[in-house]
Amino acid sequence: MTESEAAVSTAPRNPSPEATTAAEATTAPMAPVPPDPSQGSPGYPVTAAPTRRIGPLTRTDFVRYAGAGGDFNPIHHDETFARAAGYPSVFGHGLLTAGVLGGYAAAWLGRRNLRRLTVRYVDQVWPGDTLVLTGEVLRSGGTPDGATEVEVTLTVHSEAAGRGPRLVLSGGATATYPAGRQRRET
Amino acid sequence: MTDRSGLVGHEYPSYSFPVEHGKVREFALAVKNDDPVHHDVEAARAAGYPHLPVPPTFSAVTSHWAARGGLDVLGLDLKRVLAGGAEWEYLGDIVAGDVLTVRSRIADVLSKNGSRGPMTLVVTEYTFVNQREETVLRLRSTVIELGER
Repeated sequence: MTESEAAVSTAPRNPSPEATTAAEATTAPMAPVPPDPSQGSPGYPVTAAPTRRIGPLTRTDFVRYAGAGGDFNPIHHDETFARAAGYPSVFGHGLLTAGVLGGYAAAWLGRRNLRRLTVRYVDQVWPGDTLVLTGEVLRSGGTPDGATEVEVTLTVHSEAAGRGPRLVLSGGATATYPAGRQRRET
Repeated sequence: MTDRSGLVGHEYPSYSFPVEHGKVREFALAVKNDDPVHHDVEAARAAGYPHLPVPPTFSAVTSHWAARGGLDVLGLDLKRVLAGGAEWEYLGDIVAGDVLTVRSRIADVLSKNGSRGPMTLVVTEYTFVNQREETVLRLRSTVIELGER
Protein backbone atom coordinates (compact mmCIF):
# COMPACT_ATOMS: atom_id res chain seq x y z
CA MET A 1 0.00 0.00 0.00
CA THR A 2 1.43 3.35 -0.95
CA GLU A 3 1.46 6.30 1.37
CA SER A 4 -1.29 8.03 -0.57
CA GLU A 5 -3.50 4.95 -0.52
CA ALA A 6 -3.01 4.79 3.21
CA ALA A 7 -4.25 8.36 3.39
CA VAL A 8 -7.53 7.32 1.78
CA SER A 9 -8.22 4.43 4.11
CA THR A 10 -6.87 5.76 7.37
CA ALA A 11 -7.33 9.53 7.25
CA PRO A 12 -9.27 10.51 10.34
CA ARG A 13 -12.64 11.89 9.47
CA ASN A 14 -12.87 15.45 10.62
CA PRO A 15 -16.20 16.98 11.34
CA SER A 16 -17.63 19.17 8.61
CA PRO A 17 -16.52 22.84 8.59
CA GLU A 18 -19.81 23.79 10.26
CA ALA A 19 -19.27 21.21 12.99
CA THR A 20 -15.69 22.38 13.47
CA THR A 21 -16.91 25.93 13.90
CA ALA A 22 -19.47 24.85 16.47
CA ALA A 23 -16.89 22.78 18.34
CA GLU A 24 -14.40 25.64 18.36
CA ALA A 25 -16.97 27.89 19.97
CA THR A 26 -16.75 25.76 23.10
CA THR A 27 -13.29 24.13 23.08
CA ALA A 28 -11.10 25.72 20.38
CA PRO A 29 -7.82 24.27 21.60
CA MET A 30 -6.12 23.99 18.22
CA ALA A 31 -7.15 26.91 16.06
CA PRO A 32 -5.46 30.21 16.92
CA VAL A 33 -7.09 31.90 13.94
CA PRO A 34 -10.74 32.54 14.80
CA PRO A 35 -13.14 31.01 12.35
CA ASP A 36 -14.69 33.42 9.90
CA PRO A 37 -17.71 31.92 8.17
CA SER A 38 -17.69 34.57 5.44
CA GLN A 39 -14.25 33.36 4.38
CA GLY A 40 -15.53 29.84 3.82
CA SER A 41 -13.02 28.52 6.32
CA PRO A 42 -13.13 27.25 9.88
CA GLY A 43 -9.71 28.74 10.61
CA TYR A 44 -6.47 27.21 9.52
CA PRO A 45 -6.35 23.44 9.36
CA VAL A 46 -4.23 21.41 11.71
CA THR A 47 -5.08 17.86 10.62
CA ALA A 48 -6.33 15.97 7.63
CA ALA A 49 -9.31 17.12 5.59
CA PRO A 50 -12.51 15.08 5.69
CA THR A 51 -12.41 12.57 2.84
CA ARG A 52 -14.96 13.35 0.15
CA ARG A 53 -16.37 11.14 -2.61
CA ILE A 54 -17.74 12.57 -5.88
CA GLY A 55 -19.35 10.33 -8.48
CA PRO A 56 -19.70 7.97 -10.12
CA LEU A 57 -18.78 10.22 -13.04
CA THR A 58 -20.58 9.68 -16.32
CA ARG A 59 -19.87 10.53 -19.95
CA THR A 60 -22.43 13.29 -19.49
CA ASP A 61 -20.22 14.80 -16.76
CA PHE A 62 -17.32 14.82 -19.24
CA VAL A 63 -19.45 16.49 -21.92
CA ARG A 64 -20.72 19.06 -19.42
CA TYR A 65 -17.15 19.87 -18.45
CA ALA A 66 -16.10 20.11 -22.10
CA GLY A 67 -18.80 22.74 -22.65
CA ALA A 68 -18.13 24.63 -19.44
CA GLY A 69 -14.36 24.53 -19.74
CA GLY A 70 -14.08 24.83 -23.50
CA ASP A 71 -11.87 21.77 -24.07
CA PHE A 72 -13.34 19.84 -26.98
CA ASN A 73 -10.54 17.37 -27.51
CA PRO A 74 -12.68 14.49 -28.88
CA ILE A 75 -10.75 12.01 -26.76
CA HIS A 76 -13.04 13.04 -23.87
CA HIS A 77 -16.41 12.59 -25.62
CA ASP A 78 -15.98 10.66 -28.89
CA GLU A 79 -15.74 6.91 -28.22
CA THR A 80 -14.62 6.13 -31.78
CA PHE A 81 -11.80 8.68 -31.59
CA ALA A 82 -10.71 7.46 -28.12
CA ARG A 83 -10.55 3.82 -29.28
CA ALA A 84 -8.59 4.78 -32.39
CA ALA A 85 -6.10 6.44 -30.03
CA GLY A 86 -5.73 3.16 -28.17
CA TYR A 87 -7.91 3.79 -25.13
CA PRO A 88 -10.72 1.46 -23.99
CA SER A 89 -13.17 4.39 -23.85
CA VAL A 90 -13.36 8.15 -23.45
CA PHE A 91 -11.88 9.49 -20.23
CA GLY A 92 -12.34 12.60 -18.11
CA HIS A 93 -10.46 15.85 -18.58
CA GLY A 94 -7.58 16.32 -16.16
CA LEU A 95 -9.04 19.76 -15.51
CA LEU A 96 -12.36 18.20 -14.49
CA THR A 97 -10.59 16.27 -11.72
CA ALA A 98 -8.53 19.38 -10.88
CA GLY A 99 -11.72 21.46 -10.80
CA VAL A 100 -13.41 19.10 -8.36
CA LEU A 101 -10.25 19.15 -6.24
CA GLY A 102 -10.13 22.96 -6.36
CA GLY A 103 -13.57 23.18 -4.77
CA TYR A 104 -12.57 20.63 -2.14
CA ALA A 105 -9.38 22.55 -1.31
CA ALA A 106 -11.24 25.88 -1.14
CA ALA A 107 -13.90 24.43 1.18
CA TRP A 108 -11.25 22.99 3.46
CA LEU A 109 -8.66 25.78 3.48
CA GLY A 110 -10.93 28.77 2.87
CA ARG A 111 -11.38 30.12 -0.63
CA ARG A 112 -9.88 33.50 0.31
CA ASN A 113 -6.92 31.87 2.04
CA LEU A 114 -5.89 29.78 -0.94
CA ARG A 115 -2.67 31.12 -2.45
CA ARG A 116 -1.49 28.25 -4.62
CA LEU A 117 -2.93 25.04 -6.03
CA THR A 118 -0.80 22.45 -7.79
CA VAL A 119 -1.93 19.33 -9.62
CA ARG A 120 -0.10 16.55 -11.40
CA TYR A 121 -2.17 14.09 -13.38
CA VAL A 122 -1.14 10.50 -12.72
CA ASP A 123 -3.78 8.32 -14.40
CA GLN A 124 -7.04 8.51 -16.33
CA VAL A 125 -10.51 8.84 -14.86
CA TRP A 126 -12.91 6.50 -16.66
CA PRO A 127 -16.71 6.64 -16.93
CA GLY A 128 -18.14 5.03 -13.79
CA ASP A 129 -15.26 6.08 -11.55
CA THR A 130 -15.92 7.78 -8.24
CA LEU A 131 -13.36 10.38 -7.18
CA VAL A 132 -12.06 10.09 -3.62
CA LEU A 133 -10.51 13.35 -2.40
CA THR A 134 -8.16 13.61 0.55
CA GLY A 135 -5.94 16.30 2.02
CA GLU A 136 -3.32 16.36 4.73
CA VAL A 137 -1.40 19.16 6.38
CA LEU A 138 2.27 18.94 5.46
CA ARG A 139 3.60 21.85 7.50
CA SER A 140 2.62 25.23 8.84
CA GLY A 141 4.63 28.19 9.96
CA GLY A 142 4.63 31.91 10.55
CA THR A 143 5.45 34.55 7.97
CA PRO A 144 7.38 37.79 8.72
CA ASP A 145 4.12 39.79 8.86
CA GLY A 146 2.62 37.50 11.49
CA ALA A 147 0.39 35.45 9.21
CA THR A 148 0.27 31.66 9.31
CA GLU A 149 1.09 29.78 6.14
CA VAL A 150 -0.11 26.21 5.78
CA GLU A 151 1.09 23.77 3.15
CA VAL A 152 -0.96 20.69 2.37
CA THR A 153 -0.85 17.66 0.12
CA LEU A 154 -3.94 16.75 -1.89
CA THR A 155 -4.71 13.48 -3.63
CA VAL A 156 -7.49 12.15 -5.80
CA HIS A 157 -8.07 8.43 -6.21
CA SER A 158 -10.56 6.78 -8.56
CA GLU A 159 -12.74 3.96 -7.25
CA ALA A 160 -14.92 1.71 -9.35
CA ALA A 161 -16.83 -1.51 -8.82
CA GLY A 162 -14.42 -4.44 -8.96
CA ARG A 163 -11.31 -2.27 -8.85
CA GLY A 164 -9.28 -0.97 -5.95
CA PRO A 165 -8.59 2.74 -5.65
CA ARG A 166 -6.08 4.12 -8.18
CA LEU A 167 -4.17 7.35 -7.67
CA VAL A 168 -5.25 9.67 -10.51
CA LEU A 169 -4.02 13.05 -9.28
CA SER A 170 -1.37 14.12 -6.86
CA GLY A 171 -1.28 17.72 -5.77
CA GLY A 172 -0.82 20.31 -3.10
CA ALA A 173 -1.87 23.74 -1.93
CA THR A 174 -0.66 26.66 0.13
CA ALA A 175 -3.00 28.81 2.20
CA THR A 176 -2.29 31.84 4.35
CA TYR A 177 -4.17 33.10 7.41
CA PRO A 178 -3.65 36.72 8.46
CA ALA A 179 -2.81 37.41 12.09
CA GLY A 180 -5.47 38.72 14.41
CA ARG A 181 -8.39 38.23 12.11
CA GLN A 182 -11.60 38.64 14.04
CA ARG A 183 -14.68 36.57 13.63
CA ARG A 184 -17.21 38.45 11.62
CA GLU A 185 -20.66 38.12 13.12
CA THR A 186 -22.92 37.34 10.20
CA MET B 1 9.31 13.35 -32.62
CA THR B 2 8.90 16.92 -33.69
CA ASP B 3 11.58 19.12 -32.17
CA ARG B 4 9.82 22.04 -30.56
CA SER B 5 12.64 23.40 -28.42
CA GLY B 6 12.80 26.46 -30.69
CA LEU B 7 9.36 27.47 -29.42
CA VAL B 8 10.55 28.33 -25.89
CA GLY B 9 9.75 31.99 -25.31
CA HIS B 10 7.04 32.06 -27.97
CA GLU B 11 4.34 34.54 -26.95
CA TYR B 12 0.75 34.00 -27.96
CA PRO B 13 -1.37 36.99 -28.94
CA SER B 14 -2.93 38.39 -25.76
CA TYR B 15 -6.71 38.40 -25.52
CA SER B 16 -9.42 39.64 -23.20
CA PHE B 17 -12.41 37.81 -21.88
CA PRO B 18 -15.39 38.89 -19.81
CA VAL B 19 -16.12 36.90 -16.66
CA GLU B 20 -19.79 36.21 -17.17
CA HIS B 21 -22.31 35.47 -14.42
CA GLY B 22 -23.81 32.48 -16.23
CA LYS B 23 -20.40 31.06 -17.09
CA VAL B 24 -19.31 31.11 -13.45
CA ARG B 25 -22.40 29.11 -12.45
CA GLU B 26 -22.05 26.75 -15.39
CA PHE B 27 -18.42 26.07 -14.53
CA ALA B 28 -19.15 25.56 -10.83
CA LEU B 29 -21.85 23.03 -11.73
CA ALA B 30 -19.51 21.20 -14.12
CA VAL B 31 -16.84 20.74 -11.45
CA LYS B 32 -19.49 19.88 -8.82
CA ASN B 33 -18.59 22.85 -6.65
CA ASP B 34 -21.65 23.51 -4.47
CA ASP B 35 -20.29 26.54 -2.59
CA PRO B 36 -23.28 28.94 -2.82
CA VAL B 37 -21.05 31.96 -3.54
CA HIS B 38 -20.50 30.57 -7.06
CA HIS B 39 -24.23 30.16 -7.70
CA ASP B 40 -26.13 32.84 -5.82
CA VAL B 41 -25.37 36.58 -6.01
CA GLU B 42 -26.92 37.18 -2.58
CA ALA B 43 -24.66 34.54 -1.02
CA ALA B 44 -21.66 36.08 -2.77
CA ARG B 45 -22.54 39.57 -1.48
CA ALA B 46 -23.11 38.24 2.03
CA ALA B 47 -19.55 36.85 1.86
CA GLY B 48 -18.21 40.26 0.86
CA TYR B 49 -17.84 39.84 -2.91
CA PRO B 50 -19.32 42.37 -5.35
CA HIS B 51 -20.56 39.47 -7.53
CA LEU B 52 -20.06 35.71 -7.97
CA PRO B 53 -16.38 34.85 -7.38
CA VAL B 54 -14.94 32.24 -9.75
CA PRO B 55 -13.99 28.69 -8.65
CA PRO B 56 -10.24 28.01 -8.28
CA THR B 57 -9.67 26.46 -11.73
CA PHE B 58 -12.00 28.77 -13.67
CA SER B 59 -9.05 30.00 -15.74
CA ALA B 60 -9.68 26.95 -17.94
CA VAL B 61 -12.64 28.69 -19.59
CA THR B 62 -10.40 31.31 -21.14
CA SER B 63 -9.73 28.87 -23.96
CA HIS B 64 -13.21 29.82 -25.19
CA TRP B 65 -11.83 33.28 -25.95
CA ALA B 66 -8.31 32.42 -27.08
CA ALA B 67 -7.54 33.15 -30.70
CA ARG B 68 -8.54 30.07 -32.68
CA GLY B 69 -5.64 27.92 -33.63
CA GLY B 70 -3.60 29.36 -30.79
CA LEU B 71 -2.10 25.94 -30.10
CA ASP B 72 -1.35 25.32 -33.76
CA VAL B 73 2.17 26.58 -33.30
CA LEU B 74 2.75 23.38 -31.33
CA GLY B 75 1.17 21.10 -33.94
CA LEU B 76 0.12 18.60 -31.27
CA ASP B 77 -1.49 15.30 -32.25
CA LEU B 78 -4.60 15.15 -30.04
CA LYS B 79 -4.54 11.34 -30.05
CA ARG B 80 -1.23 11.46 -28.20
CA VAL B 81 -1.81 14.44 -25.94
CA LEU B 82 -2.31 14.19 -22.19
CA ALA B 83 -2.65 16.89 -19.57
CA GLY B 84 0.45 16.81 -17.39
CA GLY B 85 -0.37 19.17 -14.58
CA ALA B 86 -0.93 22.76 -13.57
CA GLU B 87 -0.14 25.28 -10.88
CA TRP B 88 -2.35 28.24 -10.03
CA GLU B 89 -1.10 31.19 -8.01
CA TYR B 90 -3.93 33.32 -6.59
CA LEU B 91 -3.13 37.02 -6.25
CA GLY B 92 -6.58 38.60 -6.06
CA ASP B 93 -10.32 38.02 -6.35
CA ILE B 94 -11.91 37.43 -9.74
CA VAL B 95 -15.67 38.01 -9.88
CA ALA B 96 -18.40 38.07 -12.50
CA GLY B 97 -18.27 41.38 -14.35
CA ASP B 98 -14.48 41.52 -14.42
CA VAL B 99 -12.72 41.68 -17.76
CA LEU B 100 -9.46 39.75 -17.79
CA THR B 101 -6.59 40.11 -20.23
CA VAL B 102 -4.60 36.93 -20.70
CA ARG B 103 -0.97 36.90 -21.73
CA SER B 104 0.71 33.57 -22.33
CA ARG B 105 4.03 32.23 -23.47
CA ILE B 106 5.73 28.90 -23.88
CA ALA B 107 8.02 28.69 -20.86
CA ASP B 108 9.68 25.35 -21.48
CA VAL B 109 9.80 22.37 -23.83
CA LEU B 110 11.30 19.19 -22.40
CA SER B 111 11.92 15.75 -23.81
CA LYS B 112 11.66 12.85 -21.39
CA ASN B 113 11.55 9.11 -21.28
CA GLY B 114 8.70 8.10 -19.00
CA SER B 115 6.85 4.90 -18.19
CA ARG B 116 4.94 5.37 -21.46
CA GLY B 117 8.06 5.84 -23.58
CA PRO B 118 9.47 9.04 -25.06
CA MET B 119 7.39 12.15 -24.51
CA THR B 120 7.51 15.90 -24.97
CA LEU B 121 6.42 18.22 -22.17
CA VAL B 122 5.31 21.74 -23.10
CA VAL B 123 5.00 24.21 -20.22
CA THR B 124 2.91 27.33 -20.84
CA GLU B 125 2.74 30.30 -18.45
CA TYR B 126 -0.36 32.51 -18.27
CA THR B 127 -0.85 35.85 -16.55
CA PHE B 128 -4.36 37.21 -15.90
CA VAL B 129 -4.75 40.98 -15.46
CA ASN B 130 -8.11 42.58 -14.63
CA GLN B 131 -9.69 45.83 -15.82
CA ARG B 132 -7.90 47.74 -13.01
CA GLU B 133 -4.50 46.51 -14.23
CA GLU B 134 -4.20 44.21 -11.20
CA THR B 135 -2.50 40.88 -11.81
CA VAL B 136 -4.96 38.51 -10.14
CA LEU B 137 -3.80 35.07 -11.28
CA ARG B 138 -0.80 33.24 -12.65
CA LEU B 139 -0.97 29.76 -14.12
CA ARG B 140 1.65 27.28 -15.29
CA SER B 141 0.26 24.41 -17.29
CA THR B 142 2.00 21.33 -18.69
CA VAL B 143 0.81 19.39 -21.72
CA ILE B 144 2.37 16.04 -22.64
CA GLU B 145 2.61 14.60 -26.13
CA LEU B 146 3.41 10.89 -26.09
CA GLY B 147 5.72 9.43 -28.71
CA GLU B 148 4.27 7.96 -31.89
CA ARG B 149 3.24 4.34 -31.51
